[in-house]
Amino acid sequence: MMEQVFFYIFSIIAVISAISVISARSAVRSAFYLIITLMQVAAIFILLRSPFLAAVQVFIYVGAVMVLFLFAVMVLDIGREKLVAYMHHQSVIAVPAVIVFFIMGAYMIIRGGWNVSNAGFPEAALAKSSEVIGKEMFGRYLFPFEVVSLVLLIALIGAVALVLRGREKDKQC
Amino acid sequence: MLTLSHYLILSLLLFSIGVAGVLTRRNIIVVLMSLELIFNSVNISLAAFSYYLHSLTGMVFVVFNITIAAAEVAVGLAILVCVYRRRRTTNVDELDELKG
Amino acid sequence: MLLSYLPVLIMIGFVSFMAIAVLLMSAVFSPKNPYHEKLIAWECGLEPVGEANKGRFRVHFFVISILFVIFDVETLYLFPWATLLADKSISGFIFVEMIIFVAVLALGLIYAWAKGALEWV
Repeated sequence: MMEQVFFYIFSIIAVISAISVISARSAVRSAFYLIITLMQVAAIFILLRSPFLAAVQVFIYVGAVMVLFLFAVMVLDIGREKLVAYMHHQSVIAVPAVIVFFIMGAYMIIRGGWNVSNAGFPEAALAKSSEVIGKEMFGRYLFPFEVVSLVLLIALIGAVALVLRGREKDKQC
Repeated sequence: MLTLSHYLILSLLLFSIGVAGVLTRRNIIVVLMSLELIFNSVNISLAAFSYYLHSLTGMVFVVFNITIAAAEVAVGLAILVCVYRRRRTTNVDELDELKG
Repeated sequence: MLLSYLPVLIMIGFVSFMAIAVLLMSAVFSPKNPYHEKLIAWECGLEPVGEANKGRFRVHFFVISILFVIFDVETLYLFPWATLLADKSISGFIFVEMIIFVAVLALGLIYAWAKGALEWV
């Protein structure tokens, strides 16, 4: 019962701030609303009994990715452009289409017989979530884990090369 | 009682909001933030399936997914800085050189 | 198990409440007497030109934060690894795995170093 109340609180805050993300006029405000949404998603992860994922969500998304977004907003000097028309002209078609998509999806989920309730793992295994996930990750998913390091390496090299390439030509930026 | 449908509906709602953001906003950095919303909705549904179907695969997949999202944001924003340096704009309508 | 996270929620709720309440109370109860000289940014008589975010932000901060994100993700994998190291039967194997992982990322660090991304000019 309590769990349900908390689920609704977190979801409502998440959805409201997600709508604020896409409707806020300045990009900095969008970023801060996105932080609120990500924190609520972390709370939802705790309701799903995976505290490791919640910690990772706060740690990576709120701690690192949002810092990157805010730095990008500052580097790109977005503040100047917030007075131009910020909505796309195709939103007249796009928003009703998305609403229709949502109604169809919700209909399929509700009628689709996904009503598995209250299953879950034994509580003892969940108390040490990071150990359980670690055992899985370093055992069965060893190869994907090593591939992830390559993905990160490529992302690092690509990002650094892209950002530093034009520096010589364009000293002031 | 909370069922799988609750989490799937929440995930679908966040996904729809993210898609609406991608389609309606002009500022490309807000488009990237909407992509983050879509990533998060997918993560919620993966974690919910993993919890309700007694499988740890979903949780491990969420960890990989978050990693890929971080890498994507790093590369995407680097490309954005490059594009901004050359074109002095972040408006998606003006970045249409590749359109045929 | 969920109950053990209740203090975290109470803490977050209390902090948010305090922040909002302080801002709201100072907005409601503070005396307001605005006039033009008080509202301009510098009270010494200089008229401000342009906005505060006009100044170019150096792109080098951005490179540093990209490096931060990538190595933050690396530490994410170090957490479950560290909890498993106490297990003697698999600790040698996963130690080698993690060494490979860190070595591959160290290549990226060497690249960034060679490109001069770490230098603060």
